[in-house]
Amino acid sequence: MSLINQHVVLNADNLFVGYKTHASKTIIASNINFELKQGELVGLVGVNGIGKSTLLRTLTGVQNALSGTIFLNGKHLQAFTNIEVAKVMSVVLTERIVTKNLSVFEIIALGRHPYTNWLGNLHKIDHAMINTAMSQTNIENLKHKKCFELSDGQLQKVMIARALAQDTDLIILDEPTTHLDMYHKVSALKLLQNLVKDTGKTILFSSHEIDLAIQLCDKMIVMTEHEVISGSPRALIEKGTFENLFPDDMIVFDNKTKNFRVKK
Amino acid sequence: MLYKKSTYKSITILLIVLLCVSFFVNIGLGSVSISLKEIFLTIIGHQENYIIQHYRLPKAFTAVLAGSGLGISGLLMQTLFRNPLAGPFVLGISSGASLGVAIVILGSSLMGGFLATVFISKWSIVIAASLGSFIVLLAVMIVAAKIRDTMAILIIGLMFGSITAALVSVLSYFSSAELIQQYVFWGFGNLGNLTWYEVVIFFSIYAVGIVLSMMSMKNLNTLLLGENYAKSLGLNVKKSRFIIIIATCLLAGSVTAFAGPIAFIGLAVPHIARQIFNTSNHKILLPSVFIIGSIVMLICDSISQLPSSDYTLPINAITSLFGAPVVIWLLLRKRKMVF
Amino acid sequence: MFNLTVKTLNNIIFEKTITLKFSTLFLLSLLLFSCIENNKSDTIFDSTNVKSAENSYATGFSLNNYDGWDVLEIYSPWPNSQKNYHYLIKHKFDTINKLLPVFDYDGIIEIPVEKIIVTSTTHIPALELLGTENTLIGFPGTQYVSSEKTRLRIDNGEVRELGNNETINTEIVLDLKPDILVGYGIGNQNKALETINNSGTSVLYNGDWVEASPLGKAEWIKFFGILYDKKKEADSIFDIIETNYMAAKTLAQNVKKRPKVLCGAMHNNVWYLPQGTSPEAQILKDANVNYLWGDTKGKGSLALNFESIFEKAQNASLWFSPSYYNSYEELMLASTHYSQFNAFKNKSIYSFANTKGATGGVLYYELGTARPDLVLKDIIKISHPTLLQEYNTYFFKPLQ
Repeated sequence: MSLINQHVVLNADNLFVGYKTHASKTIIASNINFELKQGELVGLVGVNGIGKSTLLRTLTGVQNALSGTIFLNGKHLQAFTNIEVAKVMSVVLTERIVTKNLSVFEIIALGRHPYTNWLGNLHKIDHAMINTAMSQTNIENLKHKKCFELSDGQLQKVMIARALAQDTDLIILDEPTTHLDMYHKVSALKLLQNLVKDTGKTILFSSHEIDLAIQLCDKMIVMTEHEVISGSPRALIEKGTFENLFPDDMIVFDNKTKNFRVKK
Repeated sequence: MLYKKSTYKSITILLIVLLCVSFFVNIGLGSVSISLKEIFLTIIGHQENYIIQHYRLPKAFTAVLAGSGLGISGLLMQTLFRNPLAGPFVLGISSGASLGVAIVILGSSLMGGFLATVFISKWSIVIAASLGSFIVLLAVMIVAAKIRDTMAILIIGLMFGSITAALVSVLSYFSSAELIQQYVFWGFGNLGNLTWYEVVIFFSIYAVGIVLSMMSMKNLNTLLLGENYAKSLGLNVKKSRFIIIIATCLLAGSVTAFAGPIAFIGLAVPHIARQIFNTSNHKILLPSVFIIGSIVMLICDSISQLPSSDYTLPINAITSLFGAPVVIWLLLRKRKMVF
Repeated sequence: MFNLTVKTLNNIIFEKTITLKFSTLFLLSLLLFSCIENNKSDTIFDSTNVKSAENSYATGFSLNNYDGWDVLEIYSPWPNSQKNYHYLIKHKFDTINKLLPVFDYDGIIEIPVEKIIVTSTTHIPALELLGTENTLIGFPGTQYVSSEKTRLRIDNGEVRELGNNETINTEIVLDLKPDILVGYGIGNQNKALETINNSGTSVLYNGDWVEASPLGKAEWIKFFGILYDKKKEADSIFDIIETNYMAAKTLAQNVKKRPKVLCGAMHNNVWYLPQGTSPEAQILKDANVNYLWGDTKGKGSLALNFESIFEKAQNASLWFSPSYYNSYEELMLASTHYSQFNAFKNKSIYSFANTKGATGGVLYYELGTARPDLVLKDIIKISHPTLLQEYNTYFFKPLQ
């Protein structure tokens, strides 16, 4: 809770996201307004199919917003060139990468794409960033291994390292905790938390682990049927946001313990 | 397991040596036996020998251009479509060229007068093949511009291939046996009988394709992560896709126009390179595909000359007979596909 | 600096419209270039300075004299060709003390030719009739040659095998260095012949197969006569052939009965047979038979279905040239419909397919073009048995 006015890295202003075809417009979520400040770990949660992925795709520019604006570092997203966006925002997706035959080093090195020349030659600073990314994610020992030799968890760390090497203000992760066991779920989110603290970057991730998000995030964005609301976990609990998130026939939210319980 | 830099270097040097050897073997073998001494003297310019200077040397250079051009365009297509079975002709280039040539050869009896003057000229086959592949490519690109999915372009290319094949068969049905034979012989592929002038023109078009491929090296590596990641890294996916396709068109199209449709090289050579160098990094693959493609083509051409015999075999048969078992052997050895 | 060039290249290439314009410009210029290249050779051949030796029947070549130079001209050696070829004829022992002419020519031919390569068996009889068969040093497809004299030379290794005409072995031809290569074209797209022509051997296209009349085809012996400086011999040989032909034709005119005649056979359910004004049908006409499709016009083949053939020719009394079939049994195997024809039932089918050389070459394809008189006599003998009693058919024999 600092009184210093932190720099706003990403600002969504009256955003409407959805799909547009020639014939029709489908609105998935409307009236989205939130700010992501520097050095925040932000969790995006909501029930299945509510539109988390759509929102993330719109934020990263893969999909066009139906209306409204997105500001990156105070500048209109549409005003950026591709390379400029790449220097400010990086992603970690759920999709598997095409080629398993690249080495860990080569994959992380690809994160330097926006900075290298047309041949892709790596200079000292590029090597430095790559090494830093590897030490931040603790994968130095994997440097020369090929991707098909890694476990899922290791692979994910590699992709996070790649995003780190891209040296951006904002990293967006789409469901980084799916497919991982409980320990590794926590470990992954803890890693994100440490990165935020150590590097001052802003990290936004979507997840089904609302419990963990409440415990670890500085801010949360909750998508419900009626609205998209953001705030610190404590503020959202006080508002009672989580109580109405799920139908209450099987689970209830306990305000005191700040987690969900199965109804007996 | 990653190769060390020194391993890469030594393999590359070995390949370059192999390339020079195959080049000389290719010039040295043919239906007419010429002594090594005479070959050497002719190359360094101390002696004139018409067969070497005006038949075998242009043929050897054509082989290098064809082998490397097809190999590189195959590599480009495999990366762009993320499909190990893609080759330089998936966009319909060879089917377009075949249609153009079919119209010239098979349709020549149907046309007369002015059109015949235009068509029956020294460059008729080259121009017809180029125009044909260009038109089919244009059709594929127009349809592809409306589609974001790269995979769909593959299918469209194949469909256009079917259309052109159907048109060719209709033309064949109404043609005489001699014309059909001519067309079939064009389809066998032929690296010889290009004048130095034609080799130079071939090289100029090929060079533009090579330059474009080199410009795309970094983008190709980035595309290995997938199009979404590539976009997030700042890559203009549509633009790089366009450049890669143009490079393929120039490389594969010029080879087909000047030497006929040569199968298999574009598909197999990138795999051979990947297996030998154990990498998917295009900075290493591009030069190695260049060298390996040239070597394979030179060797296949030497075999097709059937040295000391009066007959020659069509190059297409040799490339397939030679290349397919090699790829199978490599895969069996490594037990899994490096892609 | 690299980056600048890369950037500008990037910009140019990304502008799709510019690329399209560039490429269409490039292709158009290629087209224009080839057109210009083509129009070079038909320049100044007006008829003011011409002393020509006219052919009686052949229209595909002639020997003319321009400005004191003998010029062998070949016109349209393949159908729809717009190109004519002009070759200066020079005697080997003449020293050229006059300037080379201003007009364009495709080559200089030194006569008499000493080493020749021909590419069709129809060229071989001319060489033998002129006594110049010893100049033949190579041939593509030697197994098709029937004539005994040349077969002997082939077996002795004096005639090199050159492969297939479409993919003629360029290296061997370059090594043999013939003075002339006589080719025939369906179009001038044979790259190998280009290479050979550039090496100093003159490639001449023989257009005998394009001629519209049987005597026109035979008259091409004079073409070879020019090459060997044996014009007089060629002329007299042709005169004999022509006289024989005309005599036979006159003989046939007096016959009263004109038998109905069918030709050809089916391939893939399409029946191919000669059109009414084709050279084959002209021979039938000169033999005074009733070729049932003699009214059709055209130089090539008709392609009809079985029913129309059957309806018209079921009761034809004679059937000539049922394609490559060698026996009644083979015809039956190919299609049982054939047995419905009267000519089949009466065993009056005649074919040249069984008259072969030692290695399987069909004699008719080789000698038939040069000796239309023999072909005519064959047809007359078969169709009008009372004539030519002492003559034995040369090509056509009864089917087995």
